[in-house]
Amino acid sequence: MQEKIDEILTCALSAVEQATDEAALQAIKVQYLGKKGALTALLKSLGSLSAEERPKVGGAVNQAKQALQEVLQAKQGHFKQAALAEQLAAERIDVTLPGRHRPAGHLHPITLVRRRIESIFMQMGFSVATGPEIEDDFHNFEALNIPKQHPARDMQDTFYFPNGLLLRTHTSPVQIRTMLDKKAPLRVIAPGRVYRCDFDVTHTPMFHQIEGLLVDENISFGNMKAILMAFFEAFFNCDVKMRLRASYFPFTEPSAEVDISCVNCQAKGCRVCSHTGWLEVAGCGMVHPNVLKAVEIDPEAYTGFAFGAGIDRLAMLYYGVPDLRLLFENDQRFLSQF
Amino acid sequence: MKFSESWLREWVDTALSSDALTERLTMAGLEVDSIEPAAAPFSKIVVGQVLTREKHPNADKLSCCTVDVGGTAPLAIVCGAKNVAAGQHVPVATVGAVLGGDFKIKKSKLRGEPSEGMICSEKELGLAESSDGIMVLPEDAPIGEDVRVYLNLDDNLIDIDLTPNRGDCLSIAGIAREVAALTGDNLTPLEIGVVPNTHENIFPVEVLSDAACPRYVGRVIEGITPNQVSPLWLQEKLRRCGLRSIDPVVDVTNYVMLELGQPMHAFDLETLRGKVTVRQAKPDESITLLNGDEKSLNPSTLVIADEQSVLAIAGLMGGLHSAVTTETTSVFLEAAYFSADAIAGKSREYNVFTDSSFRFERGVDFNVQAQAMERATALLLEIVGGEAGPVIELASPNALPSLPEIYLRHARLQKILGVTLSFDAVTKLLEALQFQLETVEGGWKIKPASNRFDLRIEEDLIEEVARAFGYDNIPAVMPVMPLALDQKAIEANLPALAKNQLAAIGYSEVVTYSFVDSQLQALFAFDGKPLALSNPISSEMDVMRVSLWPGLVQTLQSNLHRGVTSARFFEYGMCFADQDDDLFQQNCLAGLVYGSQAPEQWAEKARKVDFYDLKADVHSLCAALGVQVTFEATDYPGLHPGQSSYILQDDKPIGVLGLLHPQIAQTLKLSGVYVFSMNIDAMSVPNRVRFEALSKFQAVSRDIAFLLDSSIPAAEVKAFIQAQAGEQLKRCFVFDIYEGEGVPAGSKSLALRLVLQSQDETLQEEQINSIMENVISGLTEKFDAKLRD
Repeated sequence: MQEKIDEILTCALSAVEQATDEAALQAIKVQYLGKKGALTALLKSLGSLSAEERPKVGGAVNQAKQALQEVLQAKQGHFKQAALAEQLAAERIDVTLPGRHRPAGHLHPITLVRRRIESIFMQMGFSVATGPEIEDDFHNFEALNIPKQHPARDMQDTFYFPNGLLLRTHTSPVQIRTMLDKKAPLRVIAPGRVYRCDFDVTHTPMFHQIEGLLVDENISFGNMKAILMAFFEAFFNCDVKMRLRASYFPFTEPSAEVDISCVNCQAKGCRVCSHTGWLEVAGCGMVHPNVLKAVEIDPEAYTGFAFGAGIDRLAMLYYGVPDLRLLFENDQRFLSQF
Repeated sequence: MKFSESWLREWVDTALSSDALTERLTMAGLEVDSIEPAAAPFSKIVVGQVLTREKHPNADKLSCCTVDVGGTAPLAIVCGAKNVAAGQHVPVATVGAVLGGDFKIKKSKLRGEPSEGMICSEKELGLAESSDGIMVLPEDAPIGEDVRVYLNLDDNLIDIDLTPNRGDCLSIAGIAREVAALTGDNLTPLEIGVVPNTHENIFPVEVLSDAACPRYVGRVIEGITPNQVSPLWLQEKLRRCGLRSIDPVVDVTNYVMLELGQPMHAFDLETLRGKVTVRQAKPDESITLLNGDEKSLNPSTLVIADEQSVLAIAGLMGGLHSAVTTETTSVFLEAAYFSADAIAGKSREYNVFTDSSFRFERGVDFNVQAQAMERATALLLEIVGGEAGPVIELASPNALPSLPEIYLRHARLQKILGVTLSFDAVTKLLEALQFQLETVEGGWKIKPASNRFDLRIEEDLIEEVARAFGYDNIPAVMPVMPLALDQKAIEANLPALAKNQLAAIGYSEVVTYSFVDSQLQALFAFDGKPLALSNPISSEMDVMRVSLWPGLVQTLQSNLHRGVTSARFFEYGMCFADQDDDLFQQNCLAGLVYGSQAPEQWAEKARKVDFYDLKADVHSLCAALGVQVTFEATDYPGLHPGQSSYILQDDKPIGVLGLLHPQIAQTLKLSGVYVFSMNIDAMSVPNRVRFEALSKFQAVSRDIAFLLDSSIPAAEVKAFIQAQAGEQLKRCFVFDIYEGEGVPAGSKSLALRLVLQSQDETLQEEQINSIMENVISGLTEKFDAKLRD
């Protein structure tokens, strides 16, 4: 009997060995393990054996069935794997082809730099204020201690309208509006467009400024230095040397021009800094008592400082843009770099 | 102000090198714009005398000269200049001399004649931009002396960019005072003596406007030698300060102005009639100025006049009629103090910008006029001879500026600067600044000299102390302030969100000028009246933009010229209009789409953008802002009347979008340009989102299709369905629209899907049918819609 079992199993195993697809395996399963299968038939014939032989032969048949089943399963697993591999291979695509969605646009470098400046000052507790671009003489000049016919008006070529209004020549009128509105203490920056009647390689008739103003009790020139220093270091995210040169603005006193060490050449001297190692980046000073008086803040009780810098210039330095005019030509090749 | 470094050093004895000096000036607020050598870098050029001059045997335009340069024998030199003549003293480049960096003088033969050097022109020495001949030196120029030494050419021309408050430094004397104060070096001021009069002739003067002219000093000088040339030293000093030599009288007045800061004027005495009057101009008066310009005068103008006519616009320029000429033998010299208020603005008004007006409008020392007169007299007599009359001086003490006494508080100084400085340290700094000071309780009383008319208040002195102490020496200290929250910065910033969203969906931000071409803007026929500039920079930028579209369209055009074929741009910025004489200025957001919907690529067929692409972008923009909008057809200026729509928030228009009007597009050689514009400042900030409960019950959808008049907008149908179906209708959208074969002309087939869902129960078939019947019967009644099977 054992011989017969072995013979059937040998046949079955060899059939499995030769099977080439899942269907063949299914047929082998039916042939040996199905209801009418060879091994099933042996089990059915157990009844004719003696009670002594029955368990022995039964065990042997079951052992054979199990062996066959294991082999069948293994082979089936192999076929599944192969089929999957084939499917995956067929579904391979060229992932280097570009995606279907349309490309993103770009924010203008002036917007990006303006945001960077705003975020630095906001971290130092400054608020952002804005104001009108068409201004009147009072806010743009008079209140800033620049009376009519003052030679300082020659420093800024002004665009006028027939009704006497003008395009603001600086963001300083926002100082005045904010101080009139909020009084002291005050910590604001005012970014925006300004206009001067000047058009050459280094000047455009419209450009962008950021104005800063801090008024409180006991605010000093030394405080101004510290805030400006902190700003420039944060903005360029590197060590920056700063120097203040005495200067004159009608609305501040003492006044200074702010130079920083050239961030393009690490102060070694290059085209950007005209080989001086220094970049003129801002003007600043202690708010003139006449300005405080003009906005009804007591200059004895409060002191403050103000500063102004060109956003366009900072953007040029930050991104290495060599020509101011590129910022306003809106060449797509330029815009898409940022 | 441009000046000669060696002239400055005559006045202040400083050991600072040129570089250190300019650095010091710059840091102290007298910003040095440029420093350049007074002459070209040459060597071995000496003074020579032309002994003989013969015509060159082989060349018409050349001469053969012998020149004594103090050597053992005269040199033979071939010269091409017309003006060379025997007897002249001239600069001679000898063999071995190097000019202009690399031009070496060698022994040579010119057209067969030997030449052992070159006679130089002013241009070759770097003293002039051009010359038409060799330079002729004075007869007393010592033969053989190095020209660099003789002409003191190892000098620098320093140009400082003075701020308007430092009118006191518009002279050698002023800059020297400043250098002395900054360095503590010795000032060696000029001793100006009195030139006694040698006759009694005066020309009478009256001052009618004493507020505008608080001091007038005049003097007659007779018998000067006419038609003279200024001596070389005077010419050189003027040149190095950027002025040209004209004639000795004018040169002397200019010299005194450069030296002492006092502008002066000389009238030809013989042209004057009656008396000189300083007064306001009368109506209908005019003057022909020295430069030939005719100006009709405004009565607010201060003038110098005689009994016949106006002689000069005070402080600006003299007239042609009374000007000194080569025949002038007697002059009337003027040194006046005109108040800055009287002169300020006049240059601009008359478009006459002079060294004189530049000084007067910034302020002049009101005590220097008499000195200037003496100095000018002495120089003039020295150069052209003549006899000086008595000095006449008219002064109105009440109208002259008063010298303020300023109280400088020690505590205030330290508070403003943020630095601890002892009382003694400040006193030392003030003394170095040459202030007359008196120590008082808690500070100092200071009376600045008349030449520091810029110092009026305590802060002016604090600045002086800070400059002397050095801005760099003030320690940087962070201010200590209470924490403060800015609620505005916490809430949504719509412009920033809008920019981010537009960039995310493919739009690039542009920055265009706020002024545009009025003709371009007029094409759009916007409602707002544009504001025209009085002084535009060009006709392409003559009016303020009413809309961002002209700038965007121009941006598109310039990019198309560079070969771009598709574009998406946006700009955020102010627009301006004159609305019934009220000024409108508000921030707007606008965008433009042109060309293909997507870049050319492998996956999808190229397709031009259309209205619905832009509308989807506007929708996505509004969604990012959290703003609910609806759309309504309109006929907006500049847009195609059949393809333009308002963008509405709460039924109020907040923007518009559409196809650029084909006529405008054609004029601009464009087509298929879609634009939108939104008045972001006018938008109401969206309310905070409030949570809505999620339904636990199943949603069902029903489709309906019907025929209706093709002019009925889909949005109207949708809104009607929404109202008709009630709150169970969660969503409703058009999924098909068809016109053409099978649909009667003038009708369209519209198919919509309705998604129904209840918050409280599973909708039963009867409920759904009831809603749908309600919708269908409503549509039939309202729009005469015919349900399709």
